Order: sequence, then C-alpha cells, then structure tokens
Amino acid sequence: MDFRLTDDQRQILDALDKLADTFDDIANDFHGFALVRPDLREALAEGGFFDIAGFEELGPLPASMAVERIAQLPCTAEVALSMLVSPLIADVGYDPIALVRPGQAGRFVDSAKWLLVVDATRYGLIEAAVADVTSVESIYAYPMGRAKDLAQVTWLEDSLTAPIDARLKLAIAAELVGLMAAAQAATIEHISVRKQFGRELGTFQALRHRMAECRVQIGGARWLMLKAAATGDPGDAALALFHAQDAGTRLCYEVHQMMGAMGMTLEMSLHLWTYRIKALLSDMGGRGVQAEAVLEQCFGGVNVV
Amino acid sequence: MEFYWDTEQSAFRDEVKAFIATHLPEDWESLAHGPGSREQTDFSKTFCNQLAQAGLLVPHWPKAWGGREADPWTLFILAEEMWMAGEPRGGQYMNVNWIGPTLMRYGTEAQQQRYIPPMAQGTTLWCQGFSEPEAGSDLAALKTRAELGAGGYVINGQKIWTSYAGMADNCFLLARTGTGKSGISIFLVPMDTPGITVREIPSIIGEGDIHEVFFDDVAVGEDCLLGEPGQAWEIIRHVLSLERVGIPRFAMAARMLERTVKRLLDGGRLNAGAIEQAARAKAACESARWYSYSIVDQRRHGVTPGPEASLARFATVTAERLVAEFVVEHAGDALAGGDPLVLSHHQRAIVAGIASGAAEIQLNLIATELLKLPREPR
Repeated sequence: MDFRLTDDQRQILDALDKLADTFDDIANDFHGFALVRPDLREALAEGGFFDIAGFEELGPLPASMAVERIAQLPCTAEVALSMLVSPLIADVGYDPIALVRPGQAGRFVDSAKWLLVVDATRYGLIEAAVADVTSVESIYAYPMGRAKDLAQVTWLEDSLTAPIDARLKLAIAAELVGLMAAAQAATIEHISVRKQFGRELGTFQALRHRMAECRVQIGGARWLMLKAAATGDPGDAALALFHAQDAGTRLCYEVHQMMGAMGMTLEMSLHLWTYRIKALLSDMGGRGVQAEAVLEQCFGGVNVV
Repeated sequence: MEFYWDTEQSAFRDEVKAFIATHLPEDWESLAHGPGSREQTDFSKTFCNQLAQAGLLVPHWPKAWGGREADPWTLFILAEEMWMAGEPRGGQYMNVNWIGPTLMRYGTEAQQQRYIPPMAQGTTLWCQGFSEPEAGSDLAALKTRAELGAGGYVINGQKIWTSYAGMADNCFLLARTGTGKSGISIFLVPMDTPGITVREIPSIIGEGDIHEVFFDDVAVGEDCLLGEPGQAWEIIRHVLSLERVGIPRFAMAARMLERTVKRLLDGGRLNAGAIEQAARAKAACESARWYSYSIVDQRRHGVTPGPEASLARFATVTAERLVAEFVVEHAGDALAGGDPLVLSHHQRAIVAGIASGAAEIQLNLIATELLKLPREPR
C-alpha cells in the first residue's frame, strides 16, 4: 500500500489541471442545460490523455483520475468512455462513443461516432451513422439522443462482456465522483457568503453536518473508485458504482435544498453538475442492479428469489 | 498509488491469522460478551501474554520495550485481524495503542519501569479517567481536582462512562490542578488506592463495560503526576495523534455483515430491500477501510494526520450503524441467542459514534477544517 502519486500520475494530473483551467469559464449568456465543448475532446486528444489507460505502465488508475478531474468542469464532452472503455475495443480509436440501451435515450448518442449497444448479456458495436440517430430534448445536462435502428449491430466476443462491464461501471463512478465534488464546491461557495438571520448559511449546524456527511460519502466513493481502477475486479467496480450512485442521490437533494431558489435558475451553474449526476443515477441499471452485482461478486452469493 | 499488500505485509497478516487460529479457543465467541466482563478480561490477559510471547502484542514499540519497531501498517494489520476475530485483546488495545507510547514519551524512568513492562507482557489492564457528568465531549469542563499538599496530591471528584474500571489495575486520570485548559494534569493512579470507589452502570452495551468512579480524598504521591502540572492538554493532543490511525471497527463490522449475508443466503432468500441494504453497508465498511488506510499511509510517510482523520472516524461510525441496522432488520434472531459474536458487534456498534468524542464533533471538524465553512458563532 502506498497512496502517494507516482511521478507519472502527478505529471498527468498537473498537465490536466492546466488544460482544465482553460475550460473552466461559463459564457454569461449561457442559460441552457447541456454546455458542450467539442474542443475539450480535441485538447484532450492533442495532449495524449486518451492514451493513458492503454499504456501498460499507466493503466486505468490515472485514467480514472483524469475522468474525475474533467467531470468537475462546467462544460462537458464525451470523455469517460473514450478514456476507459474504448481501449478495450478494437477499431473505435479515440472517436466519441456512447452507451445505448435499445429503446432508451442516452447521453452523447446524437454526437458519437460509435454506439456501444448493451442488452442483457452482451455488448455490441455499431456506427452511429447507420443507426438512425436523433437528438432529443432533455433537462439532463448532457446532449441526449436516441438510436432508432440497431439492426446492424455487431455483437462483441463474450470474453469482452465482463471487462467492458467493469470498465463502464468504473468510468461512470469516476465521472460521478468528479461531478459530486464540483456540485458540493459550488454549494459551499454559496452558503459561505449567503446570509439569512444575520449569519452566513454555512454557520448553521443543520447545514454544516449535512455537508460534512456528503463529503464523507463523496470521499468514500472516490476511494472505492480508485480501488476498482487499481484492481480491475468486477466486484470492486460494482461496489464503487453502487456507492457513487447512492451518494449522488442524496447529494443532489442536499445541494439544491441548500442553494434554495438560486439553484433552480439556469443562471447558476449548479444544474450543470446535478443534472449530469441525475442522468448517471440510472446508468448500468441503477443502484438496485449494482446491489445485486455486489451480492454476487462481493458476498459470493446468488439470490434465489 | 499502489493498492496491494507487499510480501512482508502479507506474511505478517498470515502470521497473525495463524496465531489467532491456534490460540482462540473454540468457545471464544461465547466468551465475547463484553470486553469489560470478568470472563473476557481474564481470557484477554492470558491471550495477550501469549501474543507477547510470540512478539505480536506490541510490534510497533521500540526494541528496548519489547517491540520490533514495526511501521504503522503492521500495527493496523494486527488490529484489523484482532477486530475481525472479535478483539480478543479486550481493553488492552489501549495500552498497546497509546498509553504505553505516551508513557515512553512523557513518563519518568521510574514510571516507565513500573508500568510499561506489564503492558508489554499483556498482563495488565488500564482505564482512562476522562469523562465526567458535566464534561463529555467538552472535556475541558472537567471538575475533578488534585490539590498539592505536603505529602503529595489529594484527588476529589467523579468520573463516568469509564470503560474497564471494574477490572483495571491503573487509571490514566485527568484532574484539575489549576484553571482553564492549562490547569489540567494527568495522574497515573493504581485503582486499589484507598478512596477510589467503582460502581458498574448496567448497560445495553455489554457486561462490565461502563462505570462511575468516585475519588474521595485519594492521596497519591507527586510521582504519580505524568509530565508537568498543567501539561495534560499537550499530552492529550499527542494521545489523539496516536489514536488518529483509529480503531479498525469496520473490520469486525464487515465480517459480521458477510457472516449474516451468507447465513441469509444459505437460509433461502434476501428480498430486494435487503440486497440494497447489504450493498450499502458493504460500501460503508469498505469506505471506512480505505479512509483508515489513507491515514495509516500518512503516518507511514511521516505526515501527522489532519482533519482527514475525521472522515475516517465518521465513515467508521456509519459502517457500524448500517451493519447493525442490517442485522436487526434481516437477522434479528442473532440478538436473541442466535449469534453471540454478532450480538457483541451490535453492542460495540451502539457506542461507535459516542465513545472517544461524539460523531457530531467529527462533522464539525470536517465542516470547518476540510470544507472551510464559516464557523458557528459561540
């Protein structure tokens, strides 16, 4: 055990911080839901960040930290799957890729080059151009789309199902951890200056303790995510995503409650993180499905109900 | 970042596991009905002495005091394995973790020679005389007084919630010798000193666990003072820094959860609610584990743990609570004779957020020190 960053990991995160600083602003006239910056992907590709997970000496651990860091930005782009899942799939390269559950809307589906299709037991790949993709209106803070025609999907080898499954869970958990940290930071900023009854809101213990409990949950989700990245174990990935989705559910309530009416406006940035979190709460079946995977993979039991 | 045990750490864990497998009697789980009980205290003295003979009681202590100068990971691995087994060291974990090391730093040579060897041999039990009826989380409000006279100090006052007091040989006692925080001193007081009265408080957390201790004109020599008069707060800060690695309560909680889930699976079924609760409790146990490991890692690299230690403490409290709630809701028979070790865990879990400072204190520290929220007005 040694939790100090290696020189390589520190260099990656320092470089990523510099890159992220250039994407940290929000245009004053943006009052929408999905603040997409396609140039974010271009900058990440130019910096070689999509290669991290594929390098044996680096691997998914620093790639997960990169996903977490990028998720804290107010803007978004398809990053998590390209960084963590695409390296497992031949042919897709660094092109944007989106997860599609047949019949359901998915994030980045309308702008991805590739669609990763999931059914009950396997994953398949199809080019978005042949899947009759359309954009859909949504309050989730991602661009959302639907694929109408998945007939030409190519199902991937069965041996890829478990690794892709674990990487997807890891990628979503890493993104959730970054989103939760950003949403909490924005809320702390607000309650540290907003005064009622002559005091900053953040001086009231009823709020302080709830924020502290959320911090414990976010940090816990981060440790489980990092461990899952380090081990590649499917049980660790299921547990990490379960905890991230569980923590995200509570956090969304708490931060909007504390931000009050300000948090309901599209002029504040809170929704950019919370409505991404909400989009991810149902990913991979949601926490109920993750809990079943934890039962099977962490407790070694298959339920007989 | 590395998330793997090295060969030496794995070998040490195996050594501890093998020791436990060899030395814990078959009826151990039925003995584990309260770390302050006569039965378990007697057992712990035998068990700890055996640990000492095997070099496993105080491995992190200096060689001069019977240790092997092992790093913080070794101490934590040892504690994890002990807690997974139901903590057969009983109350002696306090000697091992902080009373011994504190005496090594602040004690006179005579105090060290008198008190440390029995701790290293596992043959003595201490209690800590901190809390009072009017001084719980607000420890500085304590009123027990030690007046210096011609023949030494005379102590008067009352302590409460004192664990192990009924069986303890000595007390690590906080008493007031002046005013304010700088007027508190520490005394090392043999519990058979005339004037000390111990009353066990019947409780839901186990036999012989909590007590009131009355000090009525208890006369002790000046040689019972630890450090200088008024130095208690500095020494307590040192104690807290030793304790910040924390007790791996999550290890026992995780084992009890696993045991309960397996029993439920063997018995037939878990409903959807139970599955989600089990996953939540598992996530809480593992969160507490990795938070705690991060604190151990800081100590391993010479970093004094800061407010991050409060995250580990609160995560551990959460894990304890969620496992205890899971058992009550889905395997309630365990608390009615069905599983004595799960019962013992449940009783320990009740106090997890209360002992050693209320969990709300940890939340305050997180809010102020980590989140940088403005402080509450006082």
